[in-house]
Amino acid sequence: MNQELTYWVTLASMPVMWTRRKNEIYINCFKHEPRITITQLFEQPSLWPELGITQEEAQLFTQAKAELANNSFLVEDLLSQGYNIIPLHSPEYPITLKQNLKSGAPSVIYTKGNIELLHKPSVAVVGSRNADNVSLEFTKNIVEKEVAQGKVIVSGFAKGIDRQALDSTLEHAGESIIVLPQGITTFNSGYKQYYKPITQGKVLVLSSFHPKAPWCVEFAMARNAIIYGLASSIYAAQSDNKGGTWQGVTDGLRKGREIFVRYPNKEEKNANLLLIQKGAKAVDFFGESLTLSSEELMTAEEKEKNKIDNGIRHLLSRGITTSKEIISALKLDWSDSKMKNYLRKMLDIEEIKIKNKIYFKSKTFAQQSALVFEDEVPYSNNKDINK
Amino acid sequence: MNRTQAEIKLKRVFNIEHFYDEQWNAISKILAGERVLMIERTGFGKSLCYQFPAILFQGITIVFSPLIALMRDQVNGLKSKGINAAYINSEQSEEENNQVIEQALNNQLKILYIAPERQENQQWLEAVRKMRLSMVVIDEAHTISTWGHDFRPAFRRIINLVELLPSHLPVLATTATATKRVQHDIEQQIGGKLTTIRGSLKRENFKLFVIRVKSEEEKMIWLAQHLNSFKGTGIIYSGTRFATENYAKWLQYVGIDAIDYNAGFDADTRKSVEKGLLENKWKCIVSTNALGMGIDKPDIRFVIHTQMPVSPIHYYQEIGRAGRDGLPTIIILFFNDNKDEQSGVSQDLELPKHFIESSRPSKSKYMKIIELLKEEPLSERLLAQKSNIKLGQVRTIKYDLMDQGIIKEVLLGKSKKYEYQYNAPTLNYQLFDRLRELKLKDLRSMEKYVYTSSPRMGYLCHFLDSDEDSTYSNCDNTNLPKAIIKEQDSLLANKLQEFRETYFPVLELCDFSFKTPTFDGEKIRFTVRTPYPDVIEIKKGEQLYRFENSIKDNYFTEQELGIIKDIISQHRKNKSHITNGVAAAYYGVTNVGTTLHRCKYNNGGDFPQFLLKLTLKAFRKIFGAFSFDMVLYVPPTISGDLVRNFATSFASIIKVPICHRLTKTRTTKEQKVFNNRFGKHDNVENAFDIDIDVKDKTIILIDDIYDSGETLKEIGRLLTTKGAKWIAPVVIAKTVGGTPQ
Repeated sequence: MNQELTYWVTLASMPVMWTRRKNEIYINCFKHEPRITITQLFEQPSLWPELGITQEEAQLFTQAKAELANNSFLVEDLLSQGYNIIPLHSPEYPITLKQNLKSGAPSVIYTKGNIELLHKPSVAVVGSRNADNVSLEFTKNIVEKEVAQGKVIVSGFAKGIDRQALDSTLEHAGESIIVLPQGITTFNSGYKQYYKPITQGKVLVLSSFHPKAPWCVEFAMARNAIIYGLASSIYAAQSDNKGGTWQGVTDGLRKGREIFVRYPNKEEKNANLLLIQKGAKAVDFFGESLTLSSEELMTAEEKEKNKIDNGIRHLLSRGITTSKEIISALKLDWSDSKMKNYLRKMLDIEEIKIKNKIYFKSKTFAQQSALVFEDEVPYSNNKDINK
Repeated sequence: MNRTQAEIKLKRVFNIEHFYDEQWNAISKILAGERVLMIERTGFGKSLCYQFPAILFQGITIVFSPLIALMRDQVNGLKSKGINAAYINSEQSEEENNQVIEQALNNQLKILYIAPERQENQQWLEAVRKMRLSMVVIDEAHTISTWGHDFRPAFRRIINLVELLPSHLPVLATTATATKRVQHDIEQQIGGKLTTIRGSLKRENFKLFVIRVKSEEEKMIWLAQHLNSFKGTGIIYSGTRFATENYAKWLQYVGIDAIDYNAGFDADTRKSVEKGLLENKWKCIVSTNALGMGIDKPDIRFVIHTQMPVSPIHYYQEIGRAGRDGLPTIIILFFNDNKDEQSGVSQDLELPKHFIESSRPSKSKYMKIIELLKEEPLSERLLAQKSNIKLGQVRTIKYDLMDQGIIKEVLLGKSKKYEYQYNAPTLNYQLFDRLRELKLKDLRSMEKYVYTSSPRMGYLCHFLDSDEDSTYSNCDNTNLPKAIIKEQDSLLANKLQEFRETYFPVLELCDFSFKTPTFDGEKIRFTVRTPYPDVIEIKKGEQLYRFENSIKDNYFTEQELGIIKDIISQHRKNKSHITNGVAAAYYGVTNVGTTLHRCKYNNGGDFPQFLLKLTLKAFRKIFGAFSFDMVLYVPPTISGDLVRNFATSFASIIKVPICHRLTKTRTTKEQKVFNNRFGKHDNVENAFDIDIDVKDKTIILIDDIYDSGETLKEIGRLLTTKGAKWIAPVVIAKTVGGTPQ
């Protein structure tokens, strides 16, 4: 029943409260015997205590209730302009998204275009806005391969990889979901540009934010979670060691998602290999899986460091020595203090003083250094996306 | 609040002692947050059922009403009772509408009337999202039923809105005309917990007559004979804009105080006629059915139809506007039952039949619009241009396609565009056939009203499924005498002939300028136009002044004069110097049209003498007092030298030099191949030039047929930029509502 959409949009638009909490409350309604509808949730405050709604939350619901009639006008406008409003409990809501994001899934999604695409197997292609040519070519390869298998390509309509993924999809007569970092009604240029693909059912535009909200950085970040959530598998073409792609992939890995990252060429200066080290699956230029040796898993810097460390250990295995001697033996262009600091950080090496002169010695000869990476600070999604 | 408490408040605010039971029934449900549909006759007091609860509610009550006149009257009435009410509609300036929105946002209004079309306006939609809403009212709710007699497509969005309103918000729908079928449809549209309250639709004070005639002339003569003997003032409804003008001019010609009105008039003119109606300024107003619905005038003493409406519902609706005070009221329907020899259809059935049958464009036109929208999103204007389909038809098609979910109206940036929808259903054209069948059936019921021998009010109430068990009288089938056309009054017949030969249609071409300054906190609108050479018309508010050559200052204050002179100089500087023109006749009403057609398309030779004489007569009547410097004529598209020769003869008779130097700079197509004004405009834009000096010249501009006026306007613009003083257009025939084929 369409009337419920008014209530859903009102729930999704409620300020202060987190999406996770909104969903939790609705799930309580759903599990209640007898089941409580979204309409009853708003219209019957007497139910609130047994649904576990706190006094503060009750106040928020009272405020929201007064805005229901206003939201009717918004919903009518959206429907009349051909947007779809899909609440959490609707059969049209994509199951993949619910399974991936669990109670963090958006309470309502807004779409325009062919909603059947939400239920087809899908692949996300993500990557940097300033992608190299090789990454763009990789994207084309992936899209061609996946489209041929009938997969829907999910991307975020950013510059670089996202746009390449969309355009390649259309080139190969494939289907695509564009996930917006803004409200569904603020995408005019896109609707004009992709008019035919949208009306022919090849493209679905999707947003999880308030329909009238303009673009902002927080949305761009939160949008990534939706892209990953919508896709059954994920390809990353190129990532820096910070920013949207990096955060998205690391976040995905932590949640146990299978993410394919393009194995970079030697001269590339990006963080693809770091992601692979963190557990992403390496694929080649054509998207085929690679099995990598420990050597191949190392970045150029790591290889360089490894070489120096091994050199140092080799020297120290022959006895104590000074930092200056190490510099000259390894033919490094380092200052003495840099080497000293470096040596001091090596755990298997200790400093000794003999007659006011500083020497270094190995604690153990046989020990191999292991690669240890600090875990990232977890990406905390504590900003409510609908605020 | 119980009824006693409510009635104390009722007395205090509305100065009314008691509610009718049916009113209180509705009000108590509304106060409990329920939904109510009220079907009650005009004058019953339906508006009280929302006005009273509205003053009790904390927030604002939104009333969707298709009737602008009603909004105005209701708001004035409410304000006089100290209730804050306002309206938003297309008649007000954007500034005025914005002020109302501001008041609403500050919760300073109790009742806000808006036109349903406003629901398509983004600014309104943005604003209403922030208002404190207490109730929604749908006035004239029969218009939300597709089975209703005049479904307004804009109401589709109101239906959708009502469906989405939260269940605790009270909704009231009201109508005076709903059959059971329409009632069920409205009930379904409104949904939720709904109570329908239906009262009797009987109007006991109506004296109903049907007068059968054999020609249009008989109607005109009968009216000339009898109208002044009727008590009070009233309305004559005729079927077309042309007919309203024709009847009004004829009645004026025989000395009856009449004026015409139609929806094509500008807002100012419409307002002043509506105001005049309330003040009994004229004996009668001749109008299309656009006038009178919702006008809060209790004492309209007669309603006469010279043209049968398309159904008994329409008829009941239109006569229902009369006699709300309960005093005796005369209701007459003319019917020309002269039958067409071939089809056997009565003459007066032809127009409503035509309305019904042509209400939907051909299927191929629908498909054309669909194909265009599959390619790109387009505005209404671009759709009309690219499809070359009449604008009115484009609108019909567009609304039908929206209704069937094939296209949607979207907002891209600031412009409204139409988009084809993925997975759109195929066009259901049979639906229109079904609707047409139903409408034709209703028309047959209307025809039966003419011939019925049963009480006429009973016939109408029965058709409307009115809830009652009653006896009826007060008509020419019961206790009143039948009006019968006797022998023709030869004096009036001659007069009618004379009227037809001396009545020359005006070509409304002159432009206007206006300013709305504020004097002592009150805004007054000054409008200036120059309808004829050396004639200046100034409208101050609703007061019209007409001056020749110079303005007499004693009518205005010095301050006002300054403003007026300012507008005039701006007007002369910026606007076209074309004046209103004159046509010798209407195309298709007399033999003028057929003669023109024969000459133009069937090699009938030059335009004959009688056309020249008639045109000269028209010219002398309108422009006889002015002197002119030259005659120009519109260079031809295909009809060779016909207009040139005609203009040459014309010029030599009035002894003004003819000039052949107005030429086309590029080939144009015949205007008649373009079906809307956008196409016509583009066809002639910058298509003309003249290579002689016309500075300060007063010019007669001649053409054969006047249709949209785009060609004359374009030449007017050209000559104005070249410095011409006045351009006075004269044509042989003006088309009636559209291009002759």
